[in-house]
Amino acid sequence: MSELVLETEKLEKIYKLGGRTIRALSDINLKVEKGDFVSIMGPSGSGKTTLLNILGCLDRPTSGKVILDGVDVTALPEKELYKIRRYKVGFIFQTFNLLPYLSALENVELPMEGTGKSKREMRERARELLKLVGLAEREDHKPFKLSAGEQQRVAIARALANNPSIVLADEPTGNLDAKTKYEIVKLLGKLNAEQGTTIVMVTHDSAIASHARRVLFLSDGKLLQKEKMGLLAKEKFVCPACGKEVQAYHTFCPHCGRKL
Amino acid sequence: MVVIALGFSIAIMVAIPAGVTANQQAIQWISENFKNTITAMQQEINKTATLIECTTTPSRGVETFRLGRFFGRMNETFVDETVCNAIRSINISGVSAVKDVIPFLVKSSMENISETIVTPFGSRTIYRPAYTIIGVCLNATIIANYPILPTNITAGENLSEGDSGYVLISSNLTDYFQATIGDTIEIYGQPFIVKGIFESASRPRTVYMNISDAQRVTGLAGKISMLYVYVSDVSLATQVADVIKTMYPELYVTTYQDRLANLQRMQEMYTQTLSNAESSIAQAQATATQIIIVAVAAAALIVFFVMLYSVRERTREIGILKAIGFSNWNVMSQFMIEGMLIGLIGGVTGVLIGSIAAPFFSSFLLPQLNLFGGTQRLQRPFQTQYPSIIGTQSYSTVALTPQLILLTLCAAAILGALGSLYPAWRASKISPIEALRYE
Repeated sequence: MSELVLETEKLEKIYKLGGRTIRALSDINLKVEKGDFVSIMGPSGSGKTTLLNILGCLDRPTSGKVILDGVDVTALPEKELYKIRRYKVGFIFQTFNLLPYLSALENVELPMEGTGKSKREMRERARELLKLVGLAEREDHKPFKLSAGEQQRVAIARALANNPSIVLADEPTGNLDAKTKYEIVKLLGKLNAEQGTTIVMVTHDSAIASHARRVLFLSDGKLLQKEKMGLLAKEKFVCPACGKEVQAYHTFCPHCGRKL
Repeated sequence: MVVIALGFSIAIMVAIPAGVTANQQAIQWISENFKNTITAMQQEINKTATLIECTTTPSRGVETFRLGRFFGRMNETFVDETVCNAIRSINISGVSAVKDVIPFLVKSSMENISETIVTPFGSRTIYRPAYTIIGVCLNATIIANYPILPTNITAGENLSEGDSGYVLISSNLTDYFQATIGDTIEIYGQPFIVKGIFESASRPRTVYMNISDAQRVTGLAGKISMLYVYVSDVSLATQVADVIKTMYPELYVTTYQDRLANLQRMQEMYTQTLSNAESSIAQAQATATQIIIVAVAAAALIVFFVMLYSVRERTREIGILKAIGFSNWNVMSQFMIEGMLIGLIGGVTGVLIGSIAAPFFSSFLLPQLNLFGGTQRLQRPFQTQYPSIIGTQSYSTVALTPQLILLTLCAAAILGALGSLYPAWRASKISPIEALRYE
């Protein structure tokens, strides 16, 4: 792990609200390497979402640089940004944001629309991704027929559609119940461990955040120097039931089947 | 709801040009018919330069053109057969001027028929004789030299010298008599055998028979009602006609000159009618243009507001699309395509509504076709029949051609795209972060 996928330099975001200036982010220097799984923790209002929006080229910083895959995206004109969003970044939202009138499969195909892929290639890729997130059986269901956890899985598959350099997850478990939360974060862990997907996740839930390799803290728009090792970094677990070593992202022990 | 509203404005876009086209077609048809009729009459008149027509009732002239005025039973009067000999012996400057006098007995049938006629001035029921009997002088020399019998025999044979108890009937009477060649029909209570059937536009519902038979059955022995006087030289016609008028003031006398003058009047009327119609069409076109502009604007506005609403409703969706990498242009074209689709759906609905309701639309919205000047207006039922001498032809009040339908569908799609231009542009400018926050 040495190749930098994402790097920020002195990132700053200032909002002006009725004469008052609000410093949402200041002096953010973040480095994310290929294959990393970083979670950024912080209370609400700490600027997490603002940071993620800037990283995902949905928003622009007031000053500072965002370098994505070696390209300074803050220098790019608006017209070029959609390409970055389409090919370099995969977004996962708290509210899933699936299109309600499209089936799971079509939702996953959506980002591939207009990329030059044939209908068949798109379909194959979408099926493959749905299989990867464990929804192969439900590809024809509309979002409202899926549970919240299933919807988020579809959203994850959609984020991966164009093979992005980085996946940005904004409170991906915020709308899920306790049980599903872990399934989703473990899915992210599995993708990171097995597919090498680089993930930056923002959350205020320390239990969820700890599933990452690294945990950073954001407070009042500043990235704290305190950095913690997440579960994934510890790599291996010992199953309490059978005593064998288990990868950290497993929900159930592959040897004895016990819930972890 | 929206589709129906859109459909209606597009239906108007279809119906109005269809109505205008139909009017043009009607006028073209009328103009052709007039021309043909006048040409035929011209030829007829030129053939009969030496003929002086004397009748006991006013001749069919210009009045016949005043559609619907000349129906019903008329008062029939008759003169004595002796008139023939008196006229035959007319001398001009001591020279015998008359070559031949051919007597006719024209008498209406006893039976009446009622007929509902849709004229340009409204429909009404009229009663008129079921048929007209023409008794002709069946003399071989006369038949051979003068056109007194119909020439267009479609079945059976023409009458010939000395035929008694035989009739020729016009083809449109076969239904009335329910008879064909060789059948016996009853006229004034007497049996007659149908010898032939003829076709003639100028003599519809007519029965030809021997003049002696006609005089016998109608109880008009020795009476006649029409004479064809052939003068020996064209130059004598006017003088002979004057003499006849002095001798028999009760006869209506028309010479070649009179008939030419009649034709002249008819031609003038035809020109007048046509110019009326043309100005009427021009007026209709002007109105049509205005209505179409309004309909087009309405259609575009409907699409505009629907799309504006749709963009508002789907702000979040737009945010999602942008977040996952759709460009402004992608979003904009998405909404424009949608607008076009709405336009097309409206177009199809419009054509459907239009194909059913086009006659109503065009009759409500277009000024009525004014053929005859003044306050008379052409009624607009689905079909209008022109009776009498102009002939009978049905014409539809709308002309919904495939080209027009195709044009309308294209126009609807373009309107859809135009109407959604601004809403789509607005959609493309929505900021993804704000859109995603939007509930």
